[in-house]
Amino acid sequence: MELSDEIEINAPQELVYQALNDPEILRQCIPGCEELIKHSDTELEAIVVLKIGPVKARFSGNVTLDTAGAPDGFSLSGQGNGGKAGHAKGGADVTLENKGDVTVLRYTAKAEIGGKLAQLGSRLIAGTAKRLAAKFFKKFADIVGTVDA
Amino acid sequence: MNDLTPDSAARAAKLKGLGCSRKRVEDVRFTQGKGNYVDDIKLPDMLFGDFVRSPYAHARIKSINIDAAMALPGVIAVLTAKDLEPLGLHWMPTLAGDKQMVLADGKVLFQGQEVAFVIAEDRYINADAIELVEVEYEELPVLTDANKAMDADAVVLREDLAGQTSGAHGERRHHNHIFRWEAGDEAATNEVLEAADVVVEETVYYHRTHPCPLETCGSVASMDKTTGKLTLWGTFQAPHVVRTVASLISGIEEHNIRVISPDIGGGFGNKVGVYPGYVCSIVASIVTGRPVKWVEDRMDNLMATAFARDYWMKGKISATKEGKITGLHCHVVADHGAFDACADPTKFPAGFMSICTGSYDIPTAWLGVDGVYTNKAPGGVSYRCSFRVTEAAYFIERMIEVLAIELGMDAAELRAKNFIAKDQFPYESALGWEYDSGDYHTAWTKALKAVGYDDLRAEQAERIEAFKRGETRKLLGIGLSHFTEIVGAGPVKNCDILGMGMFDSCEIRIHPTGSAVARFGTISQGQGHATTFAQILASEIGIAADSITVEEGDTDTAPYGLGTYGSRTTPVAGAAAAMAGRKIRAKAQMIAAYLLEVHDGDLEWDVDRFVVKGAPEQFKTMTEIAYASYNQAIPGLEPGLEAVSYYDPPNMTYPFGAYICVMEIDVDTGTHEIRQFYALDDCGTRINPMIIEGQIHGGLTEALAIAMGQEIAYDDIGNVKTGTLMDFFLPTAWETPTYTTDFTETPSPHHPIGAKGVGESPNVGGVPAFSNAVHDAFRPFGLKQAHMPHDHWRVWKIANDLGLHTQG
Repeated sequence: MELSDEIEINAPQELVYQALNDPEILRQCIPGCEELIKHSDTELEAIVVLKIGPVKARFSGNVTLDTAGAPDGFSLSGQGNGGKAGHAKGGADVTLENKGDVTVLRYTAKAEIGGKLAQLGSRLIAGTAKRLAAKFFKKFADIVGTVDA
Repeated sequence: MNDLTPDSAARAAKLKGLGCSRKRVEDVRFTQGKGNYVDDIKLPDMLFGDFVRSPYAHARIKSINIDAAMALPGVIAVLTAKDLEPLGLHWMPTLAGDKQMVLADGKVLFQGQEVAFVIAEDRYINADAIELVEVEYEELPVLTDANKAMDADAVVLREDLAGQTSGAHGERRHHNHIFRWEAGDEAATNEVLEAADVVVEETVYYHRTHPCPLETCGSVASMDKTTGKLTLWGTFQAPHVVRTVASLISGIEEHNIRVISPDIGGGFGNKVGVYPGYVCSIVASIVTGRPVKWVEDRMDNLMATAFARDYWMKGKISATKEGKITGLHCHVVADHGAFDACADPTKFPAGFMSICTGSYDIPTAWLGVDGVYTNKAPGGVSYRCSFRVTEAAYFIERMIEVLAIELGMDAAELRAKNFIAKDQFPYESALGWEYDSGDYHTAWTKALKAVGYDDLRAEQAERIEAFKRGETRKLLGIGLSHFTEIVGAGPVKNCDILGMGMFDSCEIRIHPTGSAVARFGTISQGQGHATTFAQILASEIGIAADSITVEEGDTDTAPYGLGTYGSRTTPVAGAAAAMAGRKIRAKAQMIAAYLLEVHDGDLEWDVDRFVVKGAPEQFKTMTEIAYASYNQAIPGLEPGLEAVSYYDPPNMTYPFGAYICVMEIDVDTGTHEIRQFYALDDCGTRINPMIIEGQIHGGLTEALAIAMGQEIAYDDIGNVKTGTLMDFFLPTAWETPTYTTDFTETPSPHHPIGAKGVGESPNVGGVPAFSNAVHDAFRPFGLKQAHMPHDHWRVWKIANDLGLHTQG
């Protein structure tokens, strides 16, 4: 499954980049996130409750960041396990374009989903993923966009 | 006899014997919800077992932690391969000569594979406990494409077979290779192809699907430790074979195992094999000393128990310019999944795929089948067909169509030109079968006339013109199919399963008052055996079908038999019924002779009695004879009137039929409407025309499902994408068209009553008829071959690829 979008955020690039690396902001923005622990600048661990169609499960996962392109962008890869519900792994490339007070965030993400989630939810996954991503960025834009305001 | 005695015809009608559309005796209980299925069985103290299944298609198991599950109140035990290993039960033999993991031993090889067996007080606690079993997996590369299984760098699936260069069916040529099976003469076939006027090549894929019986698989095991007797209820299409296998793998003596198949809610091949659930419920009952039930849910059934088909068939067919077929070459890559668990006769690892010369007189042919392992569920059963016969029929009926395109000839005419003629029977096929009987030209002519074939072609031609003028967006397809089945496995000389010859049996006891009980080695899953077996017997022994109880499925009472699948019940057990009936009649004749004080030879049989030749007023009815057999001391005869017959058929039977499907296809939506479906079946002697019609309606509907949407689809990482009835197509009344049935009657010359079997013909002949209709609709626009299932999206894609969406 592939997903891509672009969002305009009412904040300068530097601030957006920092926020994307702030576990507390991320925890608030990730739908269903119960816990987010930052082990290092490039390693995060998360527990997220997800509901896709008839399957609801608590996923625990690891995310690794590649910050070589900072602050113009970064990439991340990760995997999560939801026990009987299934498992997922994937990655995303994010670019941040500086437009003065505004930053344009573009991302492309790829995910491979297995187990019951893939079986039961296959027709729902793409839609759900889009909805969750939109939720994340709306919340993110709200939080980050109002920091300076 | 006197004037009040009904005449022979009236008495015969009262028997409700052969040819009578007798109402199904089973339906009284089924329509009132009084059936008794495995899941209806409730025993005191019964526990419930269910599986932790693998979410991965290929992974190493690094650890299994059962502590949290065991801590849940109501959980009795959690079994893993480690627990079964000391008993030698962590693997089990398959019916195909391979072995299969009962519980994952070190790795998993398909999604849904059984990893651990949780035993709990009830199903709900069990479901909670399954969530608590922690399994740590390490993902391995996944192989789902059978055509890549034998690549040099393909991932090794079966590490347990490392270094084994031969298997149950000969040489293994690669680590993912199971067998190569051949029939016919390849060199001679290649010569014919090279010298031919016309040769066409086509790859025909018959996709993976699933029998999906409404009742899923299940079992209840109850080990009585005081008697040492194990009773096993289950959804078994072959209860006696299950008993033998259970004895062989458990070490429990066979007389201490009682296997009972109660009512079964559809089998269609899915319930022939032996599944880990059966083994685990038995072990769990032995370990706990309590009865243990295991019943699959729908996802388990679709994901893990036996699939059907998945044959990649690469064909070449040659002909003269005039359209006389000269040769056929077929190579199959057979996707068997992770373990070879097909349920074929031992010597036929590709079933009867070698019937792929179909209804045609093809002088030279070759078939080669390579079975391969992939990361998919095991199986490869005969879903409402005799062993791989629907694959064979689909293959040849597609090859005929592509040959007709190449020759520019009408496909109906090409078929008629190549049919085996009536006077060629018994006919030796190039791939080694002896077709017992047939009259294809008569059936074909009748079918074409019934649908008004020439008018349909004229209408189709007009439709194409109208389409090109932009006046309609619907195309008309005429799907032709003439199939020959090979059923009734089979002669013990070449057909066995796990060494058990494929005979079948019937035992009859006539009661003193002239009614009877008959027991069989088969088991009905909805076919109506209790109705039709009684009819065969009624005609043989002159006792009304209504006075004959038919029993099947209890191995403690029924005679040994190989079970019901592959349309073998009427050809084999039906023959046993007739033969046992004739033994009864022979003894009855001696009793009647004694009672009438005449010589045996002075009597003749008349429907329900023996009559003194030339003196019709002197007779003894079967009722009188039955009573006498119990209360008279007849010199030289034992008391009682019983018989048993174990019937070893001398040959298979070869039912055939001519099907025509007329279909409208909307090129913009890919939807279809079946305007007409005509099905002519020749199953030899017809026992119960009403049941035959019902069988044909059911089989055609399953054929419709398979051709038009049903599949077990996997994604690249081995997820089952069609694991629920949301995604797996089961037709309802909404999608099911109206069928017209018809028949010719060419009795089998070697079957005691001439019957051939019919339950599976409509699936074998129906799939090519539906599929050919789709192909035929697009044929004028250049379509040669499009793989099934022809769901709306795929049909739309055909139209799109042909550029039909830009012209309109």
